[in-house]
Amino acid sequence: MGPFNTPWLTFLAWIVALGCVVGSIIWAVWIFKPKEDDDE
Amino acid sequence: MSETPIYAIIILAYLAVLILIGFITGRRTKSVEDFYIGGRRIGPWVTALSFVAAYFSSVVIIGGGGFGYMFGMATLWIGAINVLLGCTVCWIVLGPRIRQFTQRLNTMTIPGFFGERYQSRFALVFSALVIVLFMVFYNVSILKGMGHIFEVLVNIPYAYAILLAGIIILFYVSIGGYLAVVWTSFVQAWVMGIGLILLTIFSIKAIGGIASANQALQTIDPGLVNTPGVWGWSGLISYALIVSFGVWGMPQLVVRFYSIKNLRVLKIGTVVATIGTCMALLPYFNGAIARVLLPNLQSPDLAIPTLAKTVLSPIGSAVVLAAVVAAGMSTFASVLIILSSSLIQDIVKKGMKKDLSHKQVLLYSKLGSAVIGIISLVIALRPPAMVLTLTAFAWAVIASTTLWPVLFGIYWKRATKLGCAASMIGGFSSALIWMVIGKPFGIHGFVPGIIVGFILMVGVSFFTPGFSQAHIDRIWG
Repeated sequence: MGPFNTPWLTFLAWIVALGCVVGSIIWAVWIFKPKEDDDE
Repeated sequence: MSETPIYAIIILAYLAVLILIGFITGRRTKSVEDFYIGGRRIGPWVTALSFVAAYFSSVVIIGGGGFGYMFGMATLWIGAINVLLGCTVCWIVLGPRIRQFTQRLNTMTIPGFFGERYQSRFALVFSALVIVLFMVFYNVSILKGMGHIFEVLVNIPYAYAILLAGIIILFYVSIGGYLAVVWTSFVQAWVMGIGLILLTIFSIKAIGGIASANQALQTIDPGLVNTPGVWGWSGLISYALIVSFGVWGMPQLVVRFYSIKNLRVLKIGTVVATIGTCMALLPYFNGAIARVLLPNLQSPDLAIPTLAKTVLSPIGSAVVLAAVVAAGMSTFASVLIILSSSLIQDIVKKGMKKDLSHKQVLLYSKLGSAVIGIISLVIALRPPAMVLTLTAFAWAVIASTTLWPVLFGIYWKRATKLGCAASMIGGFSSALIWMVIGKPFGIHGFVPGIIVGFILMVGVSFFTPGFSQAHIDRIWG
């Protein structure tokens, strides 16, 4: 059983949503580098 | 003090803000590009939050609460997959390329993109016709959802409710165009967020904490807290995928990438949209809590409205009502602008090759959005049985028609004109036929639609001539 009496597999849904927020920040800050010419 | 005046004051104040935005944006809408895509100068916050507001209609909030009520906490996965596939991955995969390609091809609409990318008048006209026809049905379903919510919560008769909301939307869309749509949606996203967060906090408080909620659900049925729980894997995952992956083919959402200012802005937009979409989990969560607090509801769809009335003060539940109405209005307005652009720019100007000046296109677009809106309102007042059936098909049919031509159009240079045509016809007809014959095996029409569309796009493209290098260079830069 995970936090708040939630089964781990159900709790994983919250973690996935949070992971998306973290993932989008990582993508925006470190991964996606548009070239100056792409910025039409 | 009775609750109805409080509801009325908050809803009227909210509607007044929308009208004001209509006036302000109307003065800034001067060209066709302004009317359809806000002159491609929309910032990250407005683009991102208007995407979120257009994604979730009132049907999703009310229906999501209903699913949570019936199937318990496992439905949180629908919200999580909405965030993952329907937002974050969608923005990362589609956003940058759609922004660049549509600028290079100088297109303002989804059918316009197909016409230029695949050099195909058929793809332009066919997709525009499918969008116009089925989006009207989609609009009818949104209006119906909103009307019933007003009816249940504020005791305003259904017809008056949809006329009030519908006329205000028609006003601001027809004078302010896309700018009005995104700015009102931006406000509506905040209203939705505040309403849902408020409801969640007070629901948790009322039930004595999240742990107590889970414990109480476990007592009713362990399947209400476990995943996949009472719904089962196939139902849960297929539904979650449909309402998440289908977004990739929905013009009213994809068009947000056309209008964003530049790629640097898109980076911020991706983060903001992801955070905003996280609110998708809340209706399901609150629906599950309602199962414990309100075990004897007549219909699962009453879970969110009744929970709001139970755990919140009249002002708080009025904010939740405003959130539900905001969700419906933002989606309706976003769809209306897509309908107008498909009809005037794609079917009349490009498809029928009418020589229209920019001024005429702008005027006809404004008139077109008003006329289509009025048609949707009239149908929604007393929808014939056939229309009600078609509203259930609209979303699956549009997404099955446009999803692969969009995705392959920006990622696969080998995708051909005939591949696009075959994918559109195959995706459209298989989704429609599957739904008409009653969804065999309980599988949604979107599934055969995208399978057939994919096979035809890849298979036909391999065996038909591709585009000249000059055309590819023009698109890929």
